[in-house]
Amino acid sequence: MPSSTSSSELAEGLGAVHFERPGFIRLTASDRPGVAQPVPERHVPERPWGWVWLLALALFVALMAGWELYWRDYGAVPAYANSDSSWAAQRRRIDQGEGNALVLVGSSRTLFDVQLPVWEKVAGERPIQLALEGTSGVPLMEDLADDPNFTGRLVVGVTPGLFFSGFAFREAAIKYFHKETPSQRVGQWLSQRFIEPYFAYYSPDFALETVIERQDWPVRPGTHPRKDVRKLSVSEADRNTHMWSKVENDTAYRDLARSIWAQNFTGPPPPFMDTPEKARQVVQKQIARAAAAVDKLRARGVRIVFIRLPSAGDYYAFEQKTTPRAATWEVLLQQTHLPGIHFEDYPQLQGYNLPEWSHVSSGDALRLTAELAPLVEKALAEQTAKP
Amino acid sequence: MVFNSLSFVFFFALVLAMHSLPLPWKAKKVNLLLASYLFYAAWNPPFILLLWISTVVDWFAAQALVKAERVAARRAWMLLSVVANLGMLFYFKYGNFLLQNFGAVVSQFGWTYQPPHFDIVLPVGISFYTFATMSYTLDIYLRRAKPANNFLDYALFVTFFPHLVAGPIMRPTELVPQFTEPRQATPAMLRFGLALITLGMFQKIVLADSFLAPAAEAVYDGSKLPGMLDAWMATLAFSGQIFCDFAGYSTTAIGVALCLGFAMPDNFRFPYAAIGFTDFWRRWHITLSAWLRDYLYIPLGGNRHGEARTYLSLMVTMLLGGLWHGASWTFVAWGGLHGLYLVGERRLRAMFAGFKPGAGTLLLLGLFTYALINITWVFFRAKTFDAAWQILTGMFGAHAGADPILSTMRLTTVGLIIAGIVFAHWQLRKRTLEALVAEVRPLVLSGVLGLMLFAIVIAQGEGNAFIYFQF
Repeated sequence: MPSSTSSSELAEGLGAVHFERPGFIRLTASDRPGVAQPVPERHVPERPWGWVWLLALALFVALMAGWELYWRDYGAVPAYANSDSSWAAQRRRIDQGEGNALVLVGSSRTLFDVQLPVWEKVAGERPIQLALEGTSGVPLMEDLADDPNFTGRLVVGVTPGLFFSGFAFREAAIKYFHKETPSQRVGQWLSQRFIEPYFAYYSPDFALETVIERQDWPVRPGTHPRKDVRKLSVSEADRNTHMWSKVENDTAYRDLARSIWAQNFTGPPPPFMDTPEKARQVVQKQIARAAAAVDKLRARGVRIVFIRLPSAGDYYAFEQKTTPRAATWEVLLQQTHLPGIHFEDYPQLQGYNLPEWSHVSSGDALRLTAELAPLVEKALAEQTAKP
Repeated sequence: MVFNSLSFVFFFALVLAMHSLPLPWKAKKVNLLLASYLFYAAWNPPFILLLWISTVVDWFAAQALVKAERVAARRAWMLLSVVANLGMLFYFKYGNFLLQNFGAVVSQFGWTYQPPHFDIVLPVGISFYTFATMSYTLDIYLRRAKPANNFLDYALFVTFFPHLVAGPIMRPTELVPQFTEPRQATPAMLRFGLALITLGMFQKIVLADSFLAPAAEAVYDGSKLPGMLDAWMATLAFSGQIFCDFAGYSTTAIGVALCLGFAMPDNFRFPYAAIGFTDFWRRWHITLSAWLRDYLYIPLGGNRHGEARTYLSLMVTMLLGGLWHGASWTFVAWGGLHGLYLVGERRLRAMFAGFKPGAGTLLLLGLFTYALINITWVFFRAKTFDAAWQILTGMFGAHAGADPILSTMRLTTVGLIIAGIVFAHWQLRKRTLEALVAEVRPLVLSGVLGLMLFAIVIAQGEGNAFIYFQF
């Protein structure tokens, strides 16, 4: 065994000529200054590695089976990841021959509530789904405005609290798309074929760190922990997404989802919007950004329509209070000179089941899309090709 | 391509399969070379040109250097290699930094110069492979090594994918001889190599990315002033993150090479059990510190010209070593602090030459070393000096009334992981991992490997790049 460390060890300079490490069985370049370094030594410990790995893999498979069954029992089903890569794959379609397509941008309401197969059945075209949860549609409009390949039609979902504040939880997906490496694209391709369709555990909500973080830890005095938004949806390969059945059927989970939204309904507004004047300036800035993007898009002949999908309960009340229609939605339409479809104006867009107040249930999303698609198609058709 | 990605799993399986085919050794080497180019091109295909430039320039410079008889000619060929490699490095890594600092300097003299900002993308691993290729020419110039027998062996030395983008920084004498004879991993090498890969991925995906990085980010990238506990825990978290990230990469790289039948050198040797900073630099990023020692510190004079010159050489080496990590003065400060630590240590050695510390004292000295290393990590992690100052002052109690930042979960997990890392390093500070593994019961090994694999998969890493890729 090695002897104790001598004081000379403390004293060696970076360029010391010789360094002894009694008992240390493998020297490195740090022990051989100023010479050609030899072929490194690598020892392989003598262990029955075949058996070691066989047992290790058996344990791994057993643990994985247990983990997968646990999450299936919880209500999870195999689904495609709503990742930056999957978003980039859809975004790329615009630059690969589908620049004339109908594209959906906006936040989770546009993502969950609009069902692509229904739209395809009603209107004859399956839209490209580019909405991102927790994300204002404005940066998505700006990204498309800067892409000359996009000359199609654009549906912009407006969730007032996001669109008019500029909050963009998933904005990194846009940057990811522009910097995605070939390796990442291959990884996405492999994941969609060999992992995502088969495993229910594969969701950010069920990741080890998230599971541990969401345990009932004692609250550190002075901190005010907020609960993260939980898994609410299930996605398909082309990002067609609907509400997760657990939100609809599990009352406790639904109440948890509502309580998480409710964290925003009380307490002071964010610092950048904590006075009426600041809030007005933020709203105006977002509308100005949207208008600038609209100008670029319209100059290329892109037809655009805004949609405001339903909300309910306390969420709707909160939106009425903080982002009143007259001060936001109407101003947006006025300044962009674009048509808008607000659920309050159309009886056929009302009366749906919104389990957690913000998104319609999966079954109702089918009905809602069937009603919405003709309205949108009509509004787009009535728009002149050029401004 | 990053090791912690699905793409790499498939790529590596394919490479292993190709390498085990009954092909001539030369064909296997060509396969490895092509695979290595594919590995690199998977990030950004055009940058493969830079890799070729670095490879070809050093090959021809070394060939010419061997044939040259005059000292001036030898020096000229050596300088060609150094200028070409450092030129690429400076353009891509330090171009904007140099222009900005030039603008700042001339403004001191009353001139106004607004430097243009070039949108230069840093080619992955350029700091690593330029150092590897330079060592080829420099070793031949210093007559420490002979040139490779053929271009294939040399090109494979530069490009060999396990070490290409983040080290260990290989010397030609370490790797080129391994290409001369056919090499194939034995079943034991393959299985132990896979065990090393599992360990490396566990360090990266589970410890670094899942549990330690969020704690460091919450404090270092947040807008709140940290109190003492938060500042220390975030810095300790970063100390663990950067170790698990980088040592995890090195361990994986060593494992990958071993699976193919090749040996790569240790790059880390349980550094958080270092006693003193000389000891630390023999344990942390060994291949870089040894490179800087052999090609910078010793040529600068090393410790051969008196104390003052030694200190100067140490400071220059560490300042440049800091700058190697990134085009920012905070990295220079990090290197400078390490230089000062090394100088201070030498002074203490001279003052307490007869001091024989006992085991308890050594432990205290080791923990003190770790604490001082954490101070340096503040400059490494913080994006600006202002941010570093906020953390440092927080660590020393300047923000007594600050609101707490980290949750109980973060404090607990960081505390447990860091304590585990430091304990493990002290247990292994004079041993190798292999020596430990040789003593562990096979059933325990199976359990550890199975649990690590399970944790890796359920952690669901997002393929985050290793920290050192940016260098």
